[in-house]
Amino acid sequence: MQYAAVTGIGQTQYKARRGDVSIAGLVHEAAQNALDDAGLGWDAIEAVIIGKAPDMFEGVIMPEVYLADALGCSGKPMLRVHTAGSVGGSTALVAASHVQSGTFRRVLTVTFEKQSESNAMWALSNPQPFSPHLNAGAGGYFAPIMREYMRRSGAPWDTGIKVAVKDRLHGSRNPLNHLQMPEITMQEVEESPMLWDPIRFLESCPSSDGACAMVIADEGLAKEGPKAPVWIRGGAMRSEPTMYAGRDEVNPQAGRDCAADVYAQAGIDDPRKQLDCAEVYVPFSWYEPMWLENLGFAEEGEGWKLTMDGATSLDEGGDIPWNCSGGVLCSNPIGASGMIRFAEAARQVRGDAGAHQVVGARTALGHAYGGGAQFYAMWVVSVDK
Amino acid sequence: MSDLLRQQFVLGYTYTRSTGPVVGRFLTELRQRKIVGTRGDDGRVFVPPMEFDPVTASALDEFVEVSDRGEVVSWCWISEPRDSHPFDEPFAWALVLLDGADVPMVHAVAAPEAEMHTGMRVQARWSEEPRGYITDIACFEPEVTQGEG
Repeated sequence: MQYAAVTGIGQTQYKARRGDVSIAGLVHEAAQNALDDAGLGWDAIEAVIIGKAPDMFEGVIMPEVYLADALGCSGKPMLRVHTAGSVGGSTALVAASHVQSGTFRRVLTVTFEKQSESNAMWALSNPQPFSPHLNAGAGGYFAPIMREYMRRSGAPWDTGIKVAVKDRLHGSRNPLNHLQMPEITMQEVEESPMLWDPIRFLESCPSSDGACAMVIADEGLAKEGPKAPVWIRGGAMRSEPTMYAGRDEVNPQAGRDCAADVYAQAGIDDPRKQLDCAEVYVPFSWYEPMWLENLGFAEEGEGWKLTMDGATSLDEGGDIPWNCSGGVLCSNPIGASGMIRFAEAARQVRGDAGAHQVVGARTALGHAYGGGAQFYAMWVVSVDK
Repeated sequence: MSDLLRQQFVLGYTYTRSTGPVVGRFLTELRQRKIVGTRGDDGRVFVPPMEFDPVTASALDEFVEVSDRGEVVSWCWISEPRDSHPFDEPFAWALVLLDGADVPMVHAVAAPEAEMHTGMRVQARWSEEPRGYITDIACFEPEVTQGEG
């Protein structure tokens, strides 16, 4: 297998509504930023790997066809990836695999969502014949799973509130974020409306417009770039059905298996110690302690202790800061959200994460999940090959 | 044997579209009964305008106003219009190359079938109250030149 590295990263500003651009304009902006970052023109790209959340969100079916011109795909291979909310991560991994396999030497990968044009709230709760309409939305679907986590672990009731504050404080260091809440307090979160018990309004992700792109190149080309290459040390995807007898929805098997695979590839046996930071898909506050356990940063039932002790907080000097960028709780252009995690992990390793940089970060985890917490994508990136 | 049930159901959601600076400008100009295109990196004028050059992928921002008259480069006769068609009477779908443009655009031509031919000159018939829709150009019809009245 060839070595592959991230050589360019481009993001848009994340906002509730990017009314100034079309969908094509949005993806082009991120892609152009990634090319500029890599010091490249469109000609340098051999293939484009694009992802977004389900087509039903914006109601544009197969949008990749319409986006080919905006992404310089004329005469080049283009591939679309579909894995619901984890698609940003999966798309990066599919792009990386095209380089690792030797199929292409340098690819562009892009993901996006324009939630201001979409109907993401209900478009996954389709009415079905012979059934009452569930009408749950993501928050309603995940709320009972978080309740079950609270029951099992005995976590303090305000663990989620602590995550919501921590990620917004992190996020206020990142000017790209949709939500900018530098003054947020535990009390403010606690007093925000309860949407889906136990999730309050301020414990939930926003709906954002945005796109994220990366250039991924092989070893020879990566070393030619203006910035230090970020080496992809491991990448893994796993899926499981939404429902099956005995499924553990709090600590899904697919997530544990995916983590074990990516850690094995990267030579990691103690993620809390060997990783310097992690960008993990936490769209609802309680998913931080749940994923701390699922990803092996804490024993089962103990994840909340890391959160409450400040271990995951940059501001509290924690040993394993999670979501220094502010995470999904600060910006959520769904299809791009996973790739933003992957890209932000790469920024940390490259040392150009600005005010949310973890000093001396060398190895980082990027994580995405999607569907009914059934699709997982993860990568470990490092300054070391 | 028991009945095997079947049921129809309707799936539908509401969406929004942002046209962006290029398609948005094209539609806005239609309200003034003007047709604009964008100039590509190789000098070609695209009408309707393209946001991104189909060869180089660069963002196109040079707008060029073109004529509302042009030439039919290809056409197909609709002898039995359906409800969703713009006319009740037979008409043609045509590729019309506007004067000043380098690529043709699809639109309807209202003319007798006997007059339709490749190379025929046409001009836009504007709607009474243009509002920023492609249908502000109600259709194209045979060109009337000065002197013909």
